[in-house]
Amino acid sequence: MDLDRAKLTFIIEAHELLDAMETSLLAPDSSESVNAMFRAVHTIKGSAGLFGLDSIVRFAHTVESVMDRVRAGSLPFTPSLVDLILACHDHMARQIEELQEGEENGSPGTLAASEALLARLLPYMEETPNPHQANKSLVSPSWQHSPEEEESGQPTWHISVRFGEEILRQGMDPLSFLRYLMTLGTITHLTPILDRLPAGAAFDPEHCYLGLEIDLDAQVERQVLEDVFEFVREDSQIRIIPPHSKVEEYLKLIRELPEGDLYLGEILVQGKCLTPKDLEEALSTQRQEAMEGGTVQGRLLGTIVVQDQALPPAVVAAALDKQKRAKEKPSHELKVVKVQAEKLDRLVDLVGELVIAGASANTLAAKSMDSRVLEATAVITKLVEEIRDNALSLRMVQIGETFSRFRRIVRDVSQELGKSIELEIQGAETELDKSIVEKLSDPLMHLVRNSIDHGIEPLEIRRARGKPDTGSLSLNAFHESGSIVIEVADDGGGLNRQRILAKAVERGLIQDPAALTDQEINLLIFEPGFSTAESVSKLSGRGVGMDVVKRNIDELRGTIEVESYEGAGTTFRFRLPLTLAIIDGFQVLVEDTSYVIPLDIVLECLDLGPILESEQNHLINLRGEALPFLRLREVFETPGPFPARERVVVVQIGDTRAGIVVDRLMGEFQTVIKPLGELFRSVKGLGGSTILGSGEVALILDVNQLIQLATARRPNARPRLSTTA
Amino acid sequence: MAELMQVSQRQSQLPAGARSSQGNQYLTFSLGGETFAMEIRCIREVIQFGGLTLVPLMPDFIRGVINLRGAVVPVIDLSVRFHRPPSDPSKRTCIVILEVGDEEHLSTLGVMVDNVSEVLEIMREDIEPAPSFGSTLRADFIQGVGKVGGQFVIILDVNQVVSVEELASLAASRGDGEAT
Repeated sequence: MDLDRAKLTFIIEAHELLDAMETSLLAPDSSESVNAMFRAVHTIKGSAGLFGLDSIVRFAHTVESVMDRVRAGSLPFTPSLVDLILACHDHMARQIEELQEGEENGSPGTLAASEALLARLLPYMEETPNPHQANKSLVSPSWQHSPEEEESGQPTWHISVRFGEEILRQGMDPLSFLRYLMTLGTITHLTPILDRLPAGAAFDPEHCYLGLEIDLDAQVERQVLEDVFEFVREDSQIRIIPPHSKVEEYLKLIRELPEGDLYLGEILVQGKCLTPKDLEEALSTQRQEAMEGGTVQGRLLGTIVVQDQALPPAVVAAALDKQKRAKEKPSHELKVVKVQAEKLDRLVDLVGELVIAGASANTLAAKSMDSRVLEATAVITKLVEEIRDNALSLRMVQIGETFSRFRRIVRDVSQELGKSIELEIQGAETELDKSIVEKLSDPLMHLVRNSIDHGIEPLEIRRARGKPDTGSLSLNAFHESGSIVIEVADDGGGLNRQRILAKAVERGLIQDPAALTDQEINLLIFEPGFSTAESVSKLSGRGVGMDVVKRNIDELRGTIEVESYEGAGTTFRFRLPLTLAIIDGFQVLVEDTSYVIPLDIVLECLDLGPILESEQNHLINLRGEALPFLRLREVFETPGPFPARERVVVVQIGDTRAGIVVDRLMGEFQTVIKPLGELFRSVKGLGGSTILGSGEVALILDVNQLIQLATARRPNARPRLSTTA
Repeated sequence: MAELMQVSQRQSQLPAGARSSQGNQYLTFSLGGETFAMEIRCIREVIQFGGLTLVPLMPDFIRGVINLRGAVVPVIDLSVRFHRPPSDPSKRTCIVILEVGDEEHLSTLGVMVDNVSEVLEIMREDIEPAPSFGSTLRADFIQGVGKVGGQFVIILDVNQVVSVEELASLAASRGDGEAT
């Protein structure tokens, strides 16, 4: 039985619902957002009930009750209540996380936290909290006041379930439905129906043959009961007969179900839905009808439905509403299809193979000199390119979701520090590869916290500097020449270059402070363990973090720029590749090893001309400009004599330009990045590998690391090469 | 080529008759004139040596990487790993593709051997524990010593010989030594 799969769906949905709830909580002004919060909690409670997750159900139920009062307007949504509900939101998120880790009933710590929060929620609850209260409030007004309902305190519903044979395989546990029903009311009678159970060899232990006849005393709306069986509705026969229905309704049930009439009748009599007399009469009519023939019976069933006035109007309305929603649903599902990320990754992998295979076919076609073959491969190449772009676009997600998560962090952290900070988000619709987005949230988190903690000044200083009381923090994303740029900017105090320099000298990171450009000084803060904060706070200042940011961005093959004006603010700028999987590469050769340089950083290629000054300085004259260069052969310690003619590939990363000297230029091609694997985790200057059309493996250069590697080897080297800034 | 062969991926995929509760199947190969054996369970296939791409700044025991049907697989020079001179590739040189590590971190890598001989079954009673001395190999590399037709072959403990963790840290220490 694969209960885990259904549970996983629940966990994924719960996370989504909690995200939606948080978004609404942070902008709680409209009634729509209050409704959205209520719905989120309600759905989580309902689904958790299906899995018998009592601790979640109980907690969510109380939150739901409070939210319901807010929704009804009987409770003002004060900032302190918003804070409390936010805390509850976080708690539910924790509960779901624990569930994900396999802790079904909640860890002792979480349970204690539950109690604490429940106690805080208590003042917001109605005077007599009653487990059925919230469900009652769900009931639409017309139904609530229906005369039938007020006759007796606990109306008895009759529920008749014949589970589909497949439900065990779908990860459903019949018991969980009973458990959830018990949270809604009291089960007064329960009879299992085992008639479908086959004998001997025909019995399949993975099939569900169970049926249930349930009498439930509960003050609920029909919709609530229908929702209980939401997940099994398709395969199972489910009939819900409302309290105080006419006798015909029960008789119809008896007629429609496959089991023997008498058997079912007796169950209903036991549950006091029918009197023995009713049953007697019904059975005799039935026998009569049977004698009159099949066509009559069909018509009769129809008329019973039409004549059936047992359903209160609210139920009909609810059913219609449900139908309408069911009709709307498929059209939504057509618009968005949820696909497992793994499947997409597999697709992108396959497209990668296709690109490689295509390159190989191209090479062969070019050798064959057959124009028809060339033409055919040209068409295929074009299609492969389109497929590649489409496949990659499937993995593209908007950065907005990641950005908006920071609203909460900015709110919490600034509150904690007593600062007033506004977060501005731009370019939320900018798309980038999902795998990049995932790796981006940590570095962004560090930078945002850093900006709030150290960047934006306390109120008094802001006033003294003539800045507005409210600090501004902005997250911005946009596309720029084939890469994605992400900025984190604040209008705070800016980096204190004097202090950074002093610290760097003290730590022995640099020898000659005068030789550094502003940009180079700014980048010193990314050195491991570097912190200029005078006080270590809970949030930042320990000097861990910035080097992690750098490492994360390096892993994404991205670069970092820092723009900072003392007293006016700091902007951190990440420049990232659009995708991690497939790049356009430029192939070069050293000795007989192929290397690939990402094409988007290649500016131009030229012959290695006369070298400026001396060989040791590694500078060449590029149209009057001194360009530093490195010989790949030297950096990689490749044995063999220098070729007579060497070539230079001029690359640019951010503001840094450099020349890479190689033996031969092989031209550009599309390439799939394959990681080099665990064995090569210490490798420097290489960003991965790829397979060429010839089947040979080529190594992809990490030019940034390569430059660092080359400078580290040279004595008296500056930490960076030239900048054009 | 005669020594080129496709070995079944896992022992469990062999016909039931080929397995025996009494012994395991081993691939024997020669390296520097000596015969070694390793359990067939972790061997995926054996391919001809060639198509190697050098990875710069790596220690000598990493010969490079190859393209194995679209996957980039590192190749280890077993001879260097045993602190012997690097293998000299000949026509008979092969790469034995291994899968090592546990279920969660299964890595594929190749080891270079002078030539592969045969797959044979060695009975459990014909295997003696690794000698504590007298071998030039590191003791933990040896799983046992098998008796085959009156000859002794050293059965290698593949997971020790090509432990990715150990190889990677060896590679890393080489890199650091280079930088300073």
